[in-house]
Amino acid sequence: MKIIGALIFIMMTTWIGYDWSLQLQKRTKQLRSLIYSLQLMEAEMGYTYAPLQKVFSSVHEKTTEPVSYFYKYLQQALTESVSDFSEVWEHALEKLLKQSALKQEEAAILSQFGKNLGNHTFLQQEKHIHLTMHHLKEILNNATDEQHKYERMAKSLGVLAGIFIVLLLY
Amino acid sequence: MMMDATILFQIAGIGIITALIHTVLKQVGKEDIAQFVSLVGFIIVLVIVIHHLNDLFQQIKSIFLLQGM
Repeated sequence: MKIIGALIFIMMTTWIGYDWSLQLQKRTKQLRSLIYSLQLMEAEMGYTYAPLQKVFSSVHEKTTEPVSYFYKYLQQALTESVSDFSEVWEHALEKLLKQSALKQEEAAILSQFGKNLGNHTFLQQEKHIHLTMHHLKEILNNATDEQHKYERMAKSLGVLAGIFIVLLLY
Repeated sequence: MMMDATILFQIAGIGIITALIHTVLKQVGKEDIAQFVSLVGFIIVLVIVIHHLNDLFQQIKSIFLLQGM
């Protein structure tokens, strides 16, 4: 009985460690998809001059899971009449933060970007997109470094901590 | 007699695991946390050992009939 409990405990801490390392992996993946979505948005704006809602819907179709939800939410929010777009953007960002592995850092950059979205001519808008992409790429670099550094540590630390606590309580 | 063996294995296990955690943390460059973990492991082992030393001294006391002192 004791041994079964100990095994379950070790399995649980191992799982926590794996989840932690998965979180690190997810963050870089989602950052990449976010950068990709900005590129898409730029292309969409440049070639079709479509309104934001259409841009969001086509970006939503071309991106992967958590980021695409963000654009879907924005697109749906814009079907009703909106008085303050940056408020909608903030709300969507909050939701994105909860659904994804992204952190406050990139949310701050995106919220800055949202304040400028739709307020300028295309040329200025393009500059804002490039600036945001540049910032996000920097964060992506840091996140990849962090991932390589901590991924294996998280996994082994989960197992070791489990065995340690089991030994303590034995 | 059996209990003595388990306590030895327990302390040895704690030592090995602490050493492993120390090396893992040191590899990723978290030396300060690694030191802290070693310290905590040491203190835990120390507490266990003191607990059992206490038992030993109680037994010596009782053998030499010094209970009253």
